[in-house]
Amino acid sequence: MTRRLLTGNGAAAWGARLADVDYVPAFPITPQTEIIEQLGAWIDAGELPARMVTLESEHSMLTAAGAAAATGVRVFTATSSQGLLYAMEMLYTVAGWRAPFVLVNVSRALAAPVTLETDHNDVLAARDTGFLQLHCATCQEVLDSVLLAYRLAEHPRVRLPAIVNLDGFTLSFTREPVEIPEPAVVRRFLPGFDPQSVRFRASEPVSQAVAVLGGTPYSYFRYEMHRATEQAIAAFEEVAADFERATGRRHAALETHRMNDAEIAFVMLGSFATKAVDAVDRLRESGVRAGLVRPRLVRPWPAAALRESLAGVRGVAVVDQNLSMGKGGILHAELASTLYGVPDAPVLTSFIGGLGGRNIAPEEFFQMASVTREAAQTGQAPEPRLLFTAQELREVRRLQGIALAERHETTHSGAERSAP
Amino acid sequence: MSETIYRRMSDLPSTHLLGGGTAMCAGCGGLQALHQIYDVLGTKTVFVNAAGCMTLLSVYPFTPFRGSWLYTAMASAPAGAQGVRDALDILCDKGRLPRDEDLQVVTLTGDGAAYGMGLSATSGAIDRNLDFLYICYDNEGYGNTGQQSSPATPHGAHTATATGPAGHSGFKKDLFGIWVANRPAYVATVIGTEPLDLARKIEKAAKLSGPRLILALAPCPTGWDFDPQQAAEIGRLAVRTGIFPLKEYLDGRVVHTKVKRPRTPVEEYLRAQGRFQHLFEPERRQDVLDAIQARVDAYWEHWDPSH
Amino acid sequence: MYRIRFHGRGGQGMKTASRILGSAFFAEGFEVQDAPSYGAERRGAPIFATVRAAHAPILERGPMPQPGLVIVADETLLPMAAGGGVLSGMGERAVLLLHSAVDANTWKQRLQLACRVLTLPLRLEETGGRGFVGALCAGAAARLVGIVSREALEGAIRQELAAMPAQVLAANLTQAGEAYDAMKKHAGCVCEAPEAPAPGAVDANWIDLPFEAAELSAPDIHGALTSIQVRTGLWRTLRPVIDPERCSRCHWLCGSLCPDAAISPEAEGLPVIDYEHCKGCLVCVAVCPRHAIESIPEAQAREQEASP
Ligand SMILES: Cc1ncc(C[n+]2csc(CCOP(=O)(O)OP(=O)(O)O)c2C)c(N)n1
Ligand code: SF4
Ligand code: SF4
Ligand code: SF4
Ligand SMILES: [Mg+2]
Repeated sequence: MTRRLLTGNGAAAWGARLADVDYVPAFPITPQTEIIEQLGAWIDAGELPARMVTLESEHSMLTAAGAAAATGVRVFTATSSQGLLYAMEMLYTVAGWRAPFVLVNVSRALAAPVTLETDHNDVLAARDTGFLQLHCATCQEVLDSVLLAYRLAEHPRVRLPAIVNLDGFTLSFTREPVEIPEPAVVRRFLPGFDPQSVRFRASEPVSQAVAVLGGTPYSYFRYEMHRATEQAIAAFEEVAADFERATGRRHAALETHRMNDAEIAFVMLGSFATKAVDAVDRLRESGVRAGLVRPRLVRPWPAAALRESLAGVRGVAVVDQNLSMGKGGILHAELASTLYGVPDAPVLTSFIGGLGGRNIAPEEFFQMASVTREAAQTGQAPEPRLLFTAQELREVRRLQGIALAERHETTHSGAERSAP
Repeated sequence: MSETIYRRMSDLPSTHLLGGGTAMCAGCGGLQALHQIYDVLGTKTVFVNAAGCMTLLSVYPFTPFRGSWLYTAMASAPAGAQGVRDALDILCDKGRLPRDEDLQVVTLTGDGAAYGMGLSATSGAIDRNLDFLYICYDNEGYGNTGQQSSPATPHGAHTATATGPAGHSGFKKDLFGIWVANRPAYVATVIGTEPLDLARKIEKAAKLSGPRLILALAPCPTGWDFDPQQAAEIGRLAVRTGIFPLKEYLDGRVVHTKVKRPRTPVEEYLRAQGRFQHLFEPERRQDVLDAIQARVDAYWEHWDPSH
Repeated sequence: MYRIRFHGRGGQGMKTASRILGSAFFAEGFEVQDAPSYGAERRGAPIFATVRAAHAPILERGPMPQPGLVIVADETLLPMAAGGGVLSGMGERAVLLLHSAVDANTWKQRLQLACRVLTLPLRLEETGGRGFVGALCAGAAARLVGIVSREALEGAIRQELAAMPAQVLAANLTQAGEAYDAMKKHAGCVCEAPEAPAPGAVDANWIDLPFEAAELSAPDIHGALTSIQVRTGLWRTLRPVIDPERCSRCHWLCGSLCPDAAISPEAEGLPVIDYEHCKGCLVCVAVCPRHAIESIPEAQAREQEASP
């Protein structure tokens, strides 16, 4: 076992390498590209006995990934943002094939306006596709989650593809110490891929992913995907326990920090949650009984674990690094439905923060905590809030001054011309 | 390359591999070509299909195939073929699949996918020299959605989205030419009404490796508006009038496998189909008819100049 | 509420029939819903279309499990004992109208139906090689419900077929008018089918869908040739029949050109048609160089088979 500095992208590549993947359909996109470059380098150097092929789009990449998995090999692929959305048709499609593989998504905010930095609207757009979703907060978790995801996806009771999500920049390009398990240890945890009945071979004709006519068979097949995803809750327990035995590292479906006697809690996804860990510790020092709950599994949604860990909590600050226009934070809506009808459920406050990579400052966590405490006391949640400061608005105004200078002039002169 | 085993009609398979009971229309020219192709290709095949009429060949739990099938999506069947081909190669190379379990990977799509939405995926597959056989059944429109104009719709035809007096204003795209420009292993046009020509071409294609296209004109009673019984006659007219040249590309050369001299006026082909009726009544559209004939003549002037 | 279901084949104009009837009801002041079935609407394949009409806004949607009137454009959709979807949900008070020359009592016995069975023996007008069975069905339905006037029917036909050439429109009007007249005796025999059951009267019969592993619950077919269980032979209205005397065993041109691969030679080389799957396109009739294949009406062929 070695411990070394790896970026999130490097950790994802190591995960794929240790999983001994056979096939890597690829397409470049920032901030994911390093992953496929690293895998390509290992393949070219003969260190990874896999085949990589660069497709002409992510739509094709996902098609090839699903098709290869349906033929019976272990497949790894990766994308981000616009690429994930470009492949959206195939995400739904290949999930229905029940052929397991792992897709790493490096979260990046979506156009327009086009940007390179992170938020979670891309991966949450894939929420209902039938892919399992594991969200990471550290580079170590990225490597471990790739391995966990293969075991989970290939589990006989699950058999669905999985997305491992890491944040662009804050993980993808950020180096942290990562323990790389020994290949032999990984091999025991994750044996070679058994395609079971999903495969093509001359002696066993099979027609896969065929059409259906009518709502009855369709309902059956789609609901069975839901059932299989539900099975992934228990399967994850089993897989995580095996992983802990193999590596000593425990990854629960729901990551919690100081929740034992917490009065208020933050709920959020991804790497910014480590900032919340720090904020919680500082709040505790100042006498506020704060805690953090971070779903690692987003699909399946660990509803029971969430209800259990939030029992007795009086206020929950949901920090959404995404935005559903006209509704608000997606995580907030998910959690609200999870807690609806639970006796003595906490008051939920909603914060939209970190869009397009915007930072979340420590004082903002403290402020969210105090807003949430107050809401818990009054029983009244305030309107959802965008984390956005007066200073930021001044900055936008400055930019607008430049961007709109021309228009100001023309309207001005136009007004003059039309004056009598 | 070895000689053909299909020297005369009597050499063609007389019992058929493709099962009946499919949802294709009565008289479907695409199905006519497909079952003949399947007889030659055999059952060690996996068909990778894009959205179109033929998607309904396999509807749970019914399949007419003796071999395998995978439905993908409209845009990306060639990428599906890539995944299957690569995976089979990996399994064989790593000793996880005996070589005799290997399959020929066949992409099966309509013209809408082949000429349009899937062309980027096709282009990528050709770039990567993918070892696959692409079968396009060309019914010259988005048939499954009710025959709207596609990039393969011929000039002057009525479609569900071209109902004006002059019909479809565009000209059929030259998919054969697009493929040939990229120097793939093999490209051929076929039609179900020329079974011998078809069988020889499939036989050839099956022995080659690399990207190969079989472009099958698929007279479509539903979309072209003719009585199903006329399907064979219309197919024959397509060849006799020269509007659908039977040809193949191999080793850098294009060869025409059936050259009709003299050619029947293209009008006969058009007249037989409801989709061209507006060119004859209520008023004869000589301008459009001339434009269509001129294109056919110019084509043959180029390829068969002495006639 | 009136609930009417038209059954026919792709290409026979069942959607048009439903629209004509729908528009006619609408002209009579009814609230209306009309819709074609969707799915694989292939020419020749069995399809249906529905019309609902009521004096109050219509809240019912989608499938029509309990029709008051079922009209079958093509009797070949009703092979002995196997009505398939055509007869589904026909209660005792429902009416079945078959476009058939065979008399109603014979059909009632064959199909073992408790409901009222009528037949419409009208021959189809042919114009430009086409009959207008859609108009025929719409005209008959309009009379059977009893509250659609001839004017409303004709107005609806003009409206729905506005894009057709004049002689086609005229033929449709004639066809519909004849059917309307032919049903005079039974005018008003269709009752407004019962509304949905009262709350609590019927159990929804739900189950908890059990989890099943992907081996079972993926949309995959582990097998070959299962499509042969689908009897597309039922699509046929005309049957190709090979005359063994005339057939020269010409290396089975018919077999290659049959789109559905429904012709194969038997041991002696005589081509045999697989009537379970032959869709009746008659391509084989057109291509046989010896004119050894003729076509006969499917109904007639079945009659002959039925009588010893
Ligand atoms: C992304 C996408 N857009 C649209 C469709 C709807 N659609 C299904 S089949 C089809 C027509 C395909 O045309 P073609 O490839 O020529 O095949 P044909 O239907 O003629 O057999 C279309 C547009 C689809 N399935 N997927
Ligand atoms: S619409 Fe045309 S191509 Fe499609 S099944 Fe019918 S006849 Fe064949
Ligand atoms: S095409 Fe005619 S002559 Fe030839 S085998 Fe068929 S029926 Fe006989
Ligand atoms: S009519 Fe003839 S060509 Fe058509 S399906 Fe039947 S046997 Fe085949
Ligand atoms: Mg088409």
